[in-house]
Amino acid sequence: MKRNFINYHKLTALLLAGGLLVSCSDDPEPNPTPDPDPDPVEARWITVAAARMGDNPGDGNGGTLIYSLNSDEAKDPTVSIAPFDNGFIVPSNRTARLQSSEDGNTIFNISYAGDTGGNYTKYSVEGGQTFTQEGTSVSIAPYVGSAPRWIKLFDGDQTGAAVYVDTEHQFDDNGTPDDASDDTYIRTEATMGVVTLDLVNSTIVEFQESSIQLTEEEESNGYYVSRIDMPTLNAAGDKLYIGARLSKVDPATGESDGDGEILGSKTIVLDYPSLLNPTVISSTVGYGNTNGYRSINAFEYNGSVYQANQGDPNGSHILKIGANNQYDDSYVFSLDNALGTDDAYILAWRPAANGKAVVAYRDASSETGVAGAQGFFALVDLEARTAQKITDIPYEADFYLFQYQGFAVHGNDIYLTQAPVGKNGNIYVVDTETGNVTKGAELVNVEGSHFIGVF
Amino acid sequence: MIRGIFLQIFCIFFLGLSTSIAQSGNLSGKLIFEDGQPVTFATVYIHAVKKHGLSDESGNYTIQDIPFGKHRVQVSSIEIEQNEFEVEINTDSKTLTTTLKRSKDTNLDEVEVIGESYKTEIEKSGFAVNVIDTKEASLRNIQTNELLNTTVGVKIRQNGGLGSEVNYSLNGLSGSAVRIFIDGIPISAYGNSFNLNSIPPSMIKEIEVYKGVVPGHLADDALGGAINIVLQNSTQSNLNASISYGSFNTLQASVNGLYRFKDSGFTVKGSLFHNYSDNDYKVSGRSVVVTGLGGVQTPIEARRFNDAYRSSGGIFQIGYTDVKWADQFLIGFTGSSDYKEIQHGAFMTIMPYKDRFMESDAKLGNLIYQKRDLFTKGLDININALYGKRNRMVSDTLAWAYAWNGEKAIDFRGNEYEYSWRSQQEGGPTLSRINRDVASARTGLSYAINDHHKVLVNHVFSSIDRVDTDALRSVLENTFRGTRDLRKNILSLTYELNAMDGRFSANLFGKYYQQETINIDPDIDPETNELIDEVTSATTKDEGYGFTVSYALLPNVTLLTSAEKAVRLPNESEVFGNDGDNVVANPSIRPELSNNFNLGFRFGRFNIEKHDFTVSTNLFTRNIKDRIGLPIETSLNVNDEIILYENQGNGTSKGFDAQVDYTYNNNFGVNFNVSRFDLKIVNRGVEIDVPNTPFFTMNTSMRYSFKDLIQKSSRLNLFYTLYFTGEFSYLVPQGSNTVGDEFFKVPQQIAQDLGVSYVFPTDKLVMSFDIKNIFDKPVYDNLSVQKPGRAFYLKLNYRINNY
Repeated sequence: MKRNFINYHKLTALLLAGGLLVSCSDDPEPNPTPDPDPDPVEARWITVAAARMGDNPGDGNGGTLIYSLNSDEAKDPTVSIAPFDNGFIVPSNRTARLQSSEDGNTIFNISYAGDTGGNYTKYSVEGGQTFTQEGTSVSIAPYVGSAPRWIKLFDGDQTGAAVYVDTEHQFDDNGTPDDASDDTYIRTEATMGVVTLDLVNSTIVEFQESSIQLTEEEESNGYYVSRIDMPTLNAAGDKLYIGARLSKVDPATGESDGDGEILGSKTIVLDYPSLLNPTVISSTVGYGNTNGYRSINAFEYNGSVYQANQGDPNGSHILKIGANNQYDDSYVFSLDNALGTDDAYILAWRPAANGKAVVAYRDASSETGVAGAQGFFALVDLEARTAQKITDIPYEADFYLFQYQGFAVHGNDIYLTQAPVGKNGNIYVVDTETGNVTKGAELVNVEGSHFIGVF
Repeated sequence: MIRGIFLQIFCIFFLGLSTSIAQSGNLSGKLIFEDGQPVTFATVYIHAVKKHGLSDESGNYTIQDIPFGKHRVQVSSIEIEQNEFEVEINTDSKTLTTTLKRSKDTNLDEVEVIGESYKTEIEKSGFAVNVIDTKEASLRNIQTNELLNTTVGVKIRQNGGLGSEVNYSLNGLSGSAVRIFIDGIPISAYGNSFNLNSIPPSMIKEIEVYKGVVPGHLADDALGGAINIVLQNSTQSNLNASISYGSFNTLQASVNGLYRFKDSGFTVKGSLFHNYSDNDYKVSGRSVVVTGLGGVQTPIEARRFNDAYRSSGGIFQIGYTDVKWADQFLIGFTGSSDYKEIQHGAFMTIMPYKDRFMESDAKLGNLIYQKRDLFTKGLDININALYGKRNRMVSDTLAWAYAWNGEKAIDFRGNEYEYSWRSQQEGGPTLSRINRDVASARTGLSYAINDHHKVLVNHVFSSIDRVDTDALRSVLENTFRGTRDLRKNILSLTYELNAMDGRFSANLFGKYYQQETINIDPDIDPETNELIDEVTSATTKDEGYGFTVSYALLPNVTLLTSAEKAVRLPNESEVFGNDGDNVVANPSIRPELSNNFNLGFRFGRFNIEKHDFTVSTNLFTRNIKDRIGLPIETSLNVNDEIILYENQGNGTSKGFDAQVDYTYNNNFGVNFNVSRFDLKIVNRGVEIDVPNTPFFTMNTSMRYSFKDLIQKSSRLNLFYTLYFTGEFSYLVPQGSNTVGDEFFKVPQQIAQDLGVSYVFPTDKLVMSFDIKNIFDKPVYDNLSVQKPGRAFYLKLNYRINNY
């Protein structure tokens, strides 16, 4: 991770220099070949992801399209791009879960559901709609299913990790297999599968299955891990953290029980790269799930991993897992308190290397738009535990961020997309250091559709 | 009067109505022209005893039970001048050949009316309806579903070969919008083992396809139309048997027979069928690969290895036919079972299934009672009821992973491995069983006030009590799993008007729907700690109505128009949810509604010398409101354990069907049809084209008959069929300049079949040979799911009529 940190500084310098060199036009013709200058003072690619409407406005089920432009064009409000008309349709039956290399030159995709669900493909970014497939096909479906939950680890674009959990309720029939009246619920067995994928050579690296155990009390009360996601590598690179969602059954009937108490947020900790010896750690600060949705939910910063939680009755928190691989309960960062709001819910987020992050969230003030609750962006400082709503970005009821996936980090700058469902919007660039917000290229939208980020 | 003749002709032709009288004989005759050509499909009528016969393709006809004595016989046909001759019946069976004059000055008005078959009559009734005659198909190697697929406006989408899951689409509406009936009984009563995949065409007399507007006698909540399978209901003694064998180890056999004791009218009727196929056809494509070390994929051409299908079943009925108190009174038993291996889920993925299969069976008692002129002339009654059990089981317990080469797959380390989910389909092992008690009764009463006015009342009751269990779940879990019962009552009232000498007919109907869904959820009483059943029920009521008008603008040009406000009631999952999928009850969900309109013309039949042709077209719109669907996932519900069905936006389907039938000299025939539509839905104000819909289809079929080619009085028929399906995409339409679209496309498809059948001189034995998909083109109904390539089938039929 240290290496990355250095890279960020370097990249910042490159970007600043690049910004001065590259000109922009209304009709961008992104330069597919890097500047011949051996000194790589070149703007990086910014790949915009757009999700077309399927049946319902904002459902994003009508195809995921990507389109790239360089970072200077992305920053230029006179540039206008139309990914729905000119983009590349990512081969995924449902919304693709995209990842990009740290330099933005490669897009990684694992197809979600459908006939090729679980297939890994990578594309070199060559500007506009040109994405050239590289390497051979490999599928992680045999290990983690055809609708895999996967994330690229921050190890220099070497590895991707995907997870799967299968659950089975266990009962004691009390020696009378035909009589249900004396049966008792024991626990729910949650079997976890974790697979790691070599992103460079397109091969499977490791796969392990293990049982996830909660405390005896939690298990006898009917709690179990029902969904896992968002594997994140710790700073030392020897543990993998996996976010979890808990569900509960009524031990009396074995039927699902949605009214139970919400337990402290939990994370599964595994040895890396062996993927063995899972343990579950529990927070006393945050409650609710840590499995996120479609964008990365936990990041390494300064030796610790910071993780957002969702569905917390006290509003989303950013939790800290220290270098000892345990929750640091002395770190209390409530988004409700920091923003002075209620019911804050982190939808997606991303820190820059300086510990300052952009958070996409909804809260009690969100209006209900065509596709659900309205979203906002905030600038967050992990060290100071402060958060500030970004007011330079326009918000409206149909601006919705639930499916938001990608932020591109370029030094201290974080790129994001802003467009209400069915309306045009823009790329915005947040300078996390100064808080300055720059309105960038226009994003041309189509009816019922939205943008889900930049890579 | 004309209507009366219709009915009688109809009775003769299809019911073979006859009564038994002592001292009577049968007349077996042959009608020929002066040049020796047979007079086909002519009506032969003995007025004095009101007995009819109809000549067949060879000019042969039979009239049974004619009292001894002299009789005046009238013959009428489109091709002859009306003719009369005398015959004396004085033996048990009399044979006679009559030579008739070919008609020179055709009186079209009269000929049209008299020459009209039941098929034509229905097709001209005003409904957007096609009647599919199974007579020819039953002698060939043709599945019932294939026959439907060549029908205009109908698209069958099948997820593989024989026995695989089928979805029916009528003018763009599909799924639960299309209801299927067997003799007017909803097919849901019969289940998987007795359906269009298993019933051979020889057991079926005809299939009626009603598009958008469904007549009152087929009462169900059919939003987009109905397919009614009319099983053989002749009361003439007959026996036919067939056996077919072909590619993919496909064996199909059927026997149908009926014996009627002439004196008592006691009738015994039975049908048996058996189908088997390995379905091991070759497939290839982006997901047909084997994986090696590290997960490296190698594409292969594979044979499907877990796709076998077997279905067997039959109907046995006894009772009385054509007796004083009943035209038909039959009680019987329908039994069927099937076994279907499942090779993959909705898509072909790199993980083919091994040993996942489904079994179903049905055991049903049935009762039929039909009587015309009950108590008084013009009052007809028709009762059809069944009661029984049907069961379905899905088994998936094998954890080992298999590859497309049919062998155990290896993981990235090179070892054979088991899936984390311990089953073939993701989601865990299952031995789930659904047991249903089903009952369905259809009652129809019609009264013809006179030749112009008729009133019909129909009622359909159906009930399904369902119990779900899974042997792999604990007894406790099975105990607390809810059960869902469904009772449906649909009442319809129809008024039929016939005026202007049959040139104008109208049909006005209203339907009343009532559905009760009962939810039994076992729970523990918090006070007594005892197991109690929480019973809740919800009742949905709605009304629908519609009309049809048929008007002959000219004798050969008929305007057909129909409209209906159609209703689809929410099904049990939509009302009560589904425990397995975490869908909860929404008792306030409203039915889906659709306003359906058809406007059609029928031109024909025109005869120019030996050329006959008919052209028919239909323009249609379907306007659906309150579509039922699941809500989209949002941050507010993503972690909810539960979701519920809701009424969403609207939808429209607009398009046209057209069909041309041409025959030359009765031995060359061409049928061409085309169907095209636009299907759009509107949700929250945004309209989109519905993806994954084959919206453009065309079919052409040709037939040519040679007579006496190999043996004298034999017949050789050649058949050719071409199926065309336009390209369609799994994704909603994309922008003008996007790339990557081809991944989601189902390409344009053209498949061609060839067939030959040989009718041996005695007319008892028919042999057929068919080649399907002669050019071995890849065909898909669903994205990447390949259907069988070139296949060969041979079939032998043996039939005896009138023994």
